[in-house]
Amino acid sequence: MKVVSKINTSLQDWADLFLKVLDKLPLTLFMLVTSLFFALILGVIIAIIRIQKPPILYGIATFYLSFTRCTPLLVQLFLVYFGLPQLLLVFNIDINSWNRLVFVIITFSFHTAAYLSEVIRSAYLAVGTEQLEAAYSVGMTYTQALRRIILPQAFVISLPNLGNNIIELLKDTSLAFSIGIIDIMGQVRIILGNNHGMGMFEIYVVISLVYWGTCILIEGIIGYAEKVFKKGRVSLSK
Amino acid sequence: MATTIDFKFALEQVPEVLKGVPVTLTIAIVAMVLGLVFGLLIALCRIYKVPVLNQLSIVYISFIRGTPLVVQLYVFFYGVPVLFDFLNHHFGLNLNADEVPTMIYALIAYTINTAAYEAEIFRASINAVNAGQMEAAYSVGMTTAQGLYRIVLPQAFVVAFPNLGNTFIGLIKATSLAFAVKVVEILAITRIIANNGYKFLEMYLVASIIYWIICWVCEVIFAKLEKKMSRYEKQMDLKTTA
Repeated sequence: MKVVSKINTSLQDWADLFLKVLDKLPLTLFMLVTSLFFALILGVIIAIIRIQKPPILYGIATFYLSFTRCTPLLVQLFLVYFGLPQLLLVFNIDINSWNRLVFVIITFSFHTAAYLSEVIRSAYLAVGTEQLEAAYSVGMTYTQALRRIILPQAFVISLPNLGNNIIELLKDTSLAFSIGIIDIMGQVRIILGNNHGMGMFEIYVVISLVYWGTCILIEGIIGYAEKVFKKGRVSLSK
Repeated sequence: MATTIDFKFALEQVPEVLKGVPVTLTIAIVAMVLGLVFGLLIALCRIYKVPVLNQLSIVYISFIRGTPLVVQLYVFFYGVPVLFDFLNHHFGLNLNADEVPTMIYALIAYTINTAAYEAEIFRASINAVNAGQMEAAYSVGMTTAQGLYRIVLPQAFVVAFPNLGNTFIGLIKATSLAFAVKVVEILAITRIIANNGYKFLEMYLVASIIYWIICWVCEVIFAKLEKKMSRYEKQMDLKTTA
């Protein structure tokens, strides 16, 4: 395999590449935010199931967690994108015309929800039963206690872990190009096609800088959120 | 037009897909072991704040943890010929990127990725060991290296072990991306078979079950090892008889 391996790109070319890649960044961010939104909802539901342990749902939830966390994301992506239409064809439902983005968001939501449910569950357990008892002692119902006492505290505890998982989700979106989504990774195909296969190294350097920058941005936002929501709590790190 | 799910086809192809398991395990084990060694060295640089290496380590860890594995694989895959060209040009060597087996690319790239995560794990676990342990080691005349090797690191390793187990299972799943550097492992074989006959659902179910079984076996092994390792932490039951 012969690769053209001399770098002779000028500063103008680097800026050009950056702009072309950043052009598709909104789609990556859209996938991130949408998947995160659905994953949070699903994650809270599964966390509640795992905490309250209703008989049948608990088994289903544990099975789902085990499957999602033990199989690679790429396999799950192919399973949903290639396998789900085939499965539904058995029941005569044809979803071959759905937008590829829908499959991607379904896969990422289910994948991230598994990890988020464990994050939420551990944060909930970290709040402690004393808070719940105190809430009962002043006459609150479970739902009131959840909404007013436990969830605000659990949210602060879960923030670092949540930040980690959001960054993981951003990096996971880099796999969407393998089913043809034109996000910043998919943009590579187009740029390479236009440049006749030259400049592969440069463009991947550009993409890695874009991901790195976005991750640092997300880390900053989570750190700021931690500072804001931590007001009034006494913990080990001041 | 209803189609059926061809389970017989899937079962026939299982031996073919299993041929990829040794490749997957090789990448995972080699990357884990080498990543452990380098991760430990980098963690020590970070902890003892060695002047230049500390800053380099911070940048390296931030870069590896901030970029997707796929992008790192591609950067490495397309960067090595550029690097060889540069070395050939300036030092008159005669390196040829085509002659390097693709497995070497995968092993090095996965090692570089794993080492960054292991460095953070070791840094956390070494910090978790009581500082008094090192002081006690100094007080009996050990050097820093001896204190680390004989006292601190064994304890740090026990603390880090669950995280290392998680990293290994994550590595097994990460090998599914190795096709980016043209290594044929489980998922690559599955894609080839699936694309040939359009039997996507069956083949990807087979692949996910194989990965699931491998991860489950690893989890069981790690749980057993963990129990064995933390034997020294068990409290003694002092039953006083009145």
